[in-house]
Amino acid sequence: MKKTIALLLLIALCVFQYVRTSSPDQDPYLTTDYSRLHPVKVERVVAGKEEEQLVRLVKDAKRKGLKVSIAGQRHSQGGHTYYKDGIVVDMTSYNKIIEVDSDAKRITLQAGATWEDAQKAINRYGLSVKTMQSLNPFTIGGSISINAHGRDIRNGSLISSVDSFRLLTADGQIKNVSRTENAELFPLALGGYGLFGIILDVTLDLTEDEVYRESTLLMDLSDYVDYFQREVLPNPAIKLHIGRISVADDSYFTEALAKNYTVDPSLPLDKYNKLESNEKWVAPGKLLFNLNRSTDWGKKLQWNLQTYVFTRQSDHIISRNNAMRAAYEFMDYSQPGANDQLQEYFVPLDRFDSFARRLGEIVKEDKLNLLNVTIRYVGKDREAMLSYAKDDMLALVCLFNTPLSEQGQRKMKDSVQRMIDEVIAHDGSYYLPYIAYPTLEQFQTIYPNYENFFEQKRMFDENELFMNYFYANYGSGRRIEEVAS
Amino acid sequence: MNVKWLIRSQSVATLAAGMIYPYYLLFLKNLGNSYSKYGLAFAVFTISSAAVSTWLGPRLDKHGTRIMVISSLGMMAAMFAFPWTSSYTLVLLLQLIMGTCNAMQRMSERLLLADSTEFVSRGITIGSYHFWTSIASGFAVILGGLLIDWLTINALFYMSALLYGVSAWVVWRASRASLSRKAEDTITF
Ligand SMILES: Cc1cc2nc3c(=O)[nH]c(=O)nc-3n(C[C@H](O)[C@H](O)[C@H](O)COP(=O)(O)OP(=O)(O)OC[C@H]3O[C@@H](n4cnc5c(N)ncnc54)[C@H](O)[C@@H]3O)c2cc1C
Repeated sequence: MKKTIALLLLIALCVFQYVRTSSPDQDPYLTTDYSRLHPVKVERVVAGKEEEQLVRLVKDAKRKGLKVSIAGQRHSQGGHTYYKDGIVVDMTSYNKIIEVDSDAKRITLQAGATWEDAQKAINRYGLSVKTMQSLNPFTIGGSISINAHGRDIRNGSLISSVDSFRLLTADGQIKNVSRTENAELFPLALGGYGLFGIILDVTLDLTEDEVYRESTLLMDLSDYVDYFQREVLPNPAIKLHIGRISVADDSYFTEALAKNYTVDPSLPLDKYNKLESNEKWVAPGKLLFNLNRSTDWGKKLQWNLQTYVFTRQSDHIISRNNAMRAAYEFMDYSQPGANDQLQEYFVPLDRFDSFARRLGEIVKEDKLNLLNVTIRYVGKDREAMLSYAKDDMLALVCLFNTPLSEQGQRKMKDSVQRMIDEVIAHDGSYYLPYIAYPTLEQFQTIYPNYENFFEQKRMFDENELFMNYFYANYGSGRRIEEVAS
Repeated sequence: MNVKWLIRSQSVATLAAGMIYPYYLLFLKNLGNSYSKYGLAFAVFTISSAAVSTWLGPRLDKHGTRIMVISSLGMMAAMFAFPWTSSYTLVLLLQLIMGTCNAMQRMSERLLLADSTEFVSRGITIGSYHFWTSIASGFAVILGGLLIDWLTINALFYMSALLYGVSAWVVWRASRASLSRKAEDTITF
């Protein structure tokens, strides 16, 4: 009897797990990205290894009429890295460091290398990346193709620190691209979402590694912009900055944390520049973040702890390279049927307050599960054809937890469109690596260069060999629902 | 030792093992750049397991329960150590220890099973033993997956270490109980 009960219990548990994990986002035979949305069957995934192999692959695909998508770490979330029945070139194994020129302060590396790889290679020379995301697992190719930005407030968006790169184009040729050679491709392929060819290797300008004092202030959100404009921007010693907005009930969109990294030349670099892992408290961090995902008191706990830990850490000493490798494993989330989704909105500084207020209201009204909001600064930088930094901007990066069900996503889509209407009303822009929920009209309003961008795409790649859902949705007039179904 | 307690303790040990085993394989695969390197780690495990068995054999009859307790404690230590390993050599060393523990556990388990069963009724006990340890292993893998989703693989290693600790304690307690019973029996005689 006992045995039967135990056996039945185990069988029931297995059936339960089977049902729980049978949503499409869990299908190992389909390809998707960080979002786990719109999984499709691709022809095959090919690991990039050799230059000649990639040239052959492009020529082959062209002959057979197959589409090619390019993937780095696939942390983009709108189907930028795959296409139904196409070939996915996985660049993560194409990741060698080619050269570090410490005199010229430059690094040349293959595009599948990550920031972590780059940091490991340059740290010993006392060098550091100028601009990158807050986290370091992304590939260089994936990062320059979306023109990333992060905590650095002095070096613009990533495109400014790209010196040159080599591009394998749709006709199977390899072109050197810089601001002087094949210059027309420079602002297209950078922030080009993999539509102009495979970026093989990249030369980046570097800066010096430095020692910073970290300090965090708790303030009213309404004081934040003023503080940033008066205390942070004019102070050249502050090199990195990040803000945070509370999503906890009792301080919702009223409290903010501002964290500065101020250079202290009196501190010797060699004492602080050993590369440290930031992943020391993953299990408790993950548990806390899961509570933040599932309950209101979890959000409160998270905010209170963050406030306590960060403000207490004030005066913590850290090297630039270590400050540019924030922890991220605590965010890992593999629950079936639900996932975290990022959104990022840029607004000019003088419109920030009003936009943040509206954003907070929409999130409340639409009952979205907002997990955190960080604030970054990017200086005006219009070099990339699809540039988001039309002005000096503050970016609000919002992480939502959403159900992956059709209904859940329909709701999310409506909310995203509402938020982007506000972005437009506030002369802002939104970030393109995320889910393709903005309408075509919203995209075209915010990125008025779109016509030129897609025309050039078809000029350099007339058969639309390089293909992904970003292009399918916004460049070809078709929407993802049609294409993915 | 009472066979009931043998089954209980070994179900806990299987829970500990089953919980970590499939995920441990993933963990190991991520360490090596090639499948050959991965294969080597397992060969080391079997070599130590085989080598130790020849030494253990003659001592088994006398120290069966003690060996079983040590094997669980050894596994506990290995599970605690795994998240802290920082080189492939250390992984090989742990594989070596785990191979040794494996031999100790397998051999003492068989001995104790044989000791506590008799001809004719053996099949039923062995069946029961197999049933409960397999069921434990089934629950373990499902629990393990959930735990990694919510926490980390390291947390799973620690959880498994704790369970090994519990199984060692159960065996130790049960063997003490049966020893004192034996002592009482002697007095009554
Ligand atoms: C948790 C999280 C945090 C993030 N934080 C930030 C942040 O702080 N700042 C920020 O700016 N962004 C941030 N992002 C967005 C992130 O920078 C982008 O998604 C980036 O593209 C990720 O790099 P990847 O290697 O995963 O690229 P993928 O997603 O793999 O690729 C992105 C695009 O680049 C193209 N591509 C990739 N490699 C090549 C190549 N070799 N040649 C040509 N095209 C290529 C792809 O086709 C695709 O269109 C974050 C994303 C996540 C998930």
